[in-house]
Amino acid sequence: MLKIATISITLLLTTFILSLVICIVTHTNQHILLTSIASREIQFAIKLSLITSIISTLMCIIVSIPSSYALARYNFTGKTLINTIVDLPLALPPLVAGVGLLLLFGTTPFGNWLADIGIKFVFTPLGIIIAQFAVNISFMLRIMRSTFEGISPRYEYVAQTLGCTPIQAFLRTTLPMSKNGLLAGGVITWSKGIGEFGAALMVAGATRMKTETLPISLYLNMSSGDLDLAIAAATILIIISIISLYIFEKRGSIVHLY
Amino acid sequence: MIRIENVSKDLGEFKLDDVTLHIHEGEYFIILGPTGAGKTILIETIAGIYQPDCGRIFLNGMDVTDTLPKDRSIGMVYQDYMLFPHLTVEKNIGFGLRHKKITRNETKTKVNEIADLLGVLHLLNRYPGTLSGGEQQRIAIARAVVTEPKVLLLDEPLSALDTRTTGRLREELGRIHRITKTTTIHVTHSFEEAFSLGDRIAVMGSGQIIQVGAPDDVFRKPNSEFIADFVGVENLFRGKSVVHDTISEVHADGICIVSSTLKSGDVSISIRPEDILISKKEIDSSARNSFSGQIMEVKDMGALVKLVVDVGIPFMVALTKRSYEDMELAYGTHVYIAFKASATHLF
Repeated sequence: MLKIATISITLLLTTFILSLVICIVTHTNQHILLTSIASREIQFAIKLSLITSIISTLMCIIVSIPSSYALARYNFTGKTLINTIVDLPLALPPLVAGVGLLLLFGTTPFGNWLADIGIKFVFTPLGIIIAQFAVNISFMLRIMRSTFEGISPRYEYVAQTLGCTPIQAFLRTTLPMSKNGLLAGGVITWSKGIGEFGAALMVAGATRMKTETLPISLYLNMSSGDLDLAIAAATILIIISIISLYIFEKRGSIVHLY
Repeated sequence: MIRIENVSKDLGEFKLDDVTLHIHEGEYFIILGPTGAGKTILIETIAGIYQPDCGRIFLNGMDVTDTLPKDRSIGMVYQDYMLFPHLTVEKNIGFGLRHKKITRNETKTKVNEIADLLGVLHLLNRYPGTLSGGEQQRIAIARAVVTEPKVLLLDEPLSALDTRTTGRLREELGRIHRITKTTTIHVTHSFEEAFSLGDRIAVMGSGQIIQVGAPDDVFRKPNSEFIADFVGVENLFRGKSVVHDTISEVHADGICIVSSTLKSGDVSISIRPEDILISKKEIDSSARNSFSGQIMEVKDMGALVKLVVDVGIPFMVALTKRSYEDMELAYGTHVYIAFKASATHLF
């Protein structure tokens, strides 16, 4: 009885999720879908999404490796507080993060100074990158922190006695041993970056052919009634999600053979 | 060779408290102590992983306190091997050679030589995750000694292995030491390792060095109750001692033990179980201490039998299985025990 009941609920849930996806991909026929994907606007959105998400993912990796290492390995004053603060974007609605970014770069002397030297975030593709970074850095940080915590510092100690400087020891032992965590974290950060909407909308706005990523394109075309283009954008987002989920499951769950 | 002068280090959970140790060139030195005594942090501090809070460390007369681990010429082996899982056995063993200015061929030759010495030559292309504990530890030892370090630090190298492997690898460690003559510091909580390998022993407890000496001395003449307790001296009693000329009389729980160690007042006295004679008839010997009592317990230890004889206080007596059977002893047998005044140890 319990078995039948629980499995039934699971099946209903699966059907529900599947129907969402099927509704999108079957809304238009294949010909219209391909034409829409080939359109200049969707091509632009794909390109902009790929470029911004790849750059923001790289930024997340570059920043998260040293800081998650520090949080995993060292004790310092204020560590607990810092841990909480760097996790904050996880709980914060992206829209709120976006407002914060808009205010930081649009109204403060720091933001004005950056704009003066040519680094403009507000209503530019650069804003999309910083928005994706701000929202996703915590995911990468958490994954890397637990990855590093799972690796004994003694590997580095041994490497140091074998002729490595502390940095070489890290680069030659802990870092290569973290590659599954890096890949899993990178993929989830990237796919979240591609789907990022709220924060990017706040900072970069929704300007056709300028700050039009796939989700923004979906939103713009939905609002203007261009359903075919909206569906095209949605379909591509679905494909990307499925691919990244697949990679994440495969790499993230690899039990270390060692 | 290695001089550790007044080194202290506080890591919160573990600490070193004013440790001073001198280790000679070529010596096999054992650091013995219970879990949490600070043994590992001591050798990690020698390796340079931690900066001491105070005190200095000298290697060959050179102050290395502020030297990076890589420049100390130290080899390190941990209990859980710490082989790099992403590298083959060959790359693991050769890891430290990459930083030496030698050719690829020389590296290969050296790796092969040392792998052969440790009997892991056939494993060179494997990854560590697929190997047994004994094999992994041999590789870890190979990786440490291939760079020809001046000092080899072994942190409980045999503790994670099964008994048979432990025995074999222990002999191996002795053999490698005889071949390489490398000054070795071996951390352990096993007496067997300490006695079979150590030239000298330091016993550690709560971050301090409590006693240093030849294994025999530490075992027979513990300088404190902590060590007597720890090294497992079974006949350990407390009593009041009075000195008469050349002997001490120790009154412990109603019996009087004569000792040739002169010390008065509140004392601890220990007698090793194998130093006690046992007989069914009264013992006529030069032994100053003679008691009679009943066998209260029989512990069969294989080749050895341990008896508890109650003579007012319980004495542990050890004898071979053979003589136990020859004398027809059993639970409840009335026996006499005797031991020399010089077989007692007073502290």
